[in-house]
Amino acid sequence: MNTQLNFKRGIRTTLFILVVILFLTVVLLPIYYIFLTAFAPSGKLFTVPLTYVPRSLAVARFQDIFGALPIARYMLNSTMLATLSTVLALTVSLLAAYAIARLDFPGANLVMIGLLASSMLPGTATVIPLFQMFQTLNLMDTLHGLLILYGSALLPITTWVLVSFLRQVPVEIEDAAKVDGASFFPLLWRIVLPVIRPGIATMFLINFIIGWNEFFTPLIFARGAGVKVITMALSEAQVIGARSEFDVSWGNMSAVAILTTIPVFIITLIFQRQIVEGITSGVFK
Amino acid sequence: MFGQQNLSTRRILLAWLLVTPVVLWRLLTSVYPFLRTFYISFFDNSPVRRTFDFVGLDNYIALTRDSNVDATLTFTLFFTVTSVVLQVVFGLAIAELLNQRFRMRNLTRAVNLLPWAMAPIVIATAARWIFHQDYGLINDIIWRLSGERPLWLVNFTTARFAVTITDVWKNTAFLSVIFLSGLQGIPLELYEAAKIDGADGVRSYWYVTLPLLMPLIISMIIFTAIFRVLSFEIVYALTNGGPGTATSLLSYLVYLEGFRVLNFGYASAIAMLLFFIVLLVGVLGYGFLRRAWERL
Repeated sequence: MNTQLNFKRGIRTTLFILVVILFLTVVLLPIYYIFLTAFAPSGKLFTVPLTYVPRSLAVARFQDIFGALPIARYMLNSTMLATLSTVLALTVSLLAAYAIARLDFPGANLVMIGLLASSMLPGTATVIPLFQMFQTLNLMDTLHGLLILYGSALLPITTWVLVSFLRQVPVEIEDAAKVDGASFFPLLWRIVLPVIRPGIATMFLINFIIGWNEFFTPLIFARGAGVKVITMALSEAQVIGARSEFDVSWGNMSAVAILTTIPVFIITLIFQRQIVEGITSGVFK
Repeated sequence: MFGQQNLSTRRILLAWLLVTPVVLWRLLTSVYPFLRTFYISFFDNSPVRRTFDFVGLDNYIALTRDSNVDATLTFTLFFTVTSVVLQVVFGLAIAELLNQRFRMRNLTRAVNLLPWAMAPIVIATAARWIFHQDYGLINDIIWRLSGERPLWLVNFTTARFAVTITDVWKNTAFLSVIFLSGLQGIPLELYEAAKIDGADGVRSYWYVTLPLLMPLIISMIIFTAIFRVLSFEIVYALTNGGPGTATSLLSYLVYLEGFRVLNFGYASAIAMLLFFIVLLVGVLGYGFLRRAWERL
């Protein structure tokens, strides 16, 4: 009897472990394959069947793409745009979120719903007039022009999440500070900011990832090399040294894919908990 | 001392002052351009031909006669339904998996998030290599198992599945995180009560877990469906909408008409069609959601 029970439990555990392994394989194998492609020595790229355990790794492709494209510039632009748009969006969203969560005013709900509705407006349904506006205002190919669009995309969800974080924090501390005569900005800076720091940190991480991964906006609004970003290098790397339209360098593409992905992987692996909290607080609270 | 009236007027003024930057920023970069798109859709507007002529409903009439639009709507429907169903099913399964206790659970949860964190354009571009007929990862596995090497991106049906599979791989993580959080919110007492009533394993999942998660599942279906309709990068980089127009999506069509053909008026009409589909999904979904809440 007892051994039979143990046997049953053993089968269940084994099956469970197999499912976990299958899950990890489905997620990780494609990523590993891109890694293999990026580091495969030239000539070892096209083999049938594939070799999953490489004998040697080569960094030649990384030298190639850094030589042929201003990769460092692209990565700097991506970093600047992602960081600055995040800081700007967090600043103005915090102001709005404070007003919505704390200052009971007519129109607060309208602002919340308006923000949500505007985030459902497809980017493709606004891109043509924006393109025309940017041409008239000389904002094409400028970092500040891109910053306006990057930041705009982050506002609705950032405001929503900060409102939900603020509503979880008791108001009493702020009331006490108000009684002591603290005026608004010192109150915000010294009392409110410290208590919702987790919310701000979470939205900083998520917004940075969104900004870093942006592609459609720079595709339309950043055409000069000085303002291009790393996600645009994928297609450019594919044609380095190409002899025809169909001569695609998968190795170079994979090398750029690795460079684009490493920063977001590091952030995700370190701050997994915070990111999950941010994702779910946007939905539940 | 301030009067009550005075204090509340000051508070309201301060509140509006604080929300103004966000509201103004969104009005200028989202609401106004959207209304302007609607306006342009009634014009023949081309930066190449330097035209801006009122043409009434001509662009919308052209829309009904455009076979590219037909093909795009067909694929949008296929892609949205298939991808949403797969994401919800896998999302629920992965949430259940990550809710179990096991060694390395935290690491597995972190790994689950990796596709979510990757740029859509990276995944779409890399997927083209992964689905490569001779040297791609997928065909290597299929070839080892069956000796076949399907031409993924050349055939209509397989290309459609390639796009869908890639999309599911990237976006299921998001749903599973939401569902996991939903699972953790279900009180354990309910399961104990179900156990006393004789429901165990699959049955308690069916009678306890699923009904409680249902409003969440429905709202996530709406959300996911809307973002499938809006997808751009995945077909831009993986298939270019091809073969032919087999995997074309509306955002991609707007991009082609607007920024390759430079036909702003017609592209705006397509963008409005896209908007109405999103609106339709949202309104229908909201109706279902309200019914689900009433049932709970």
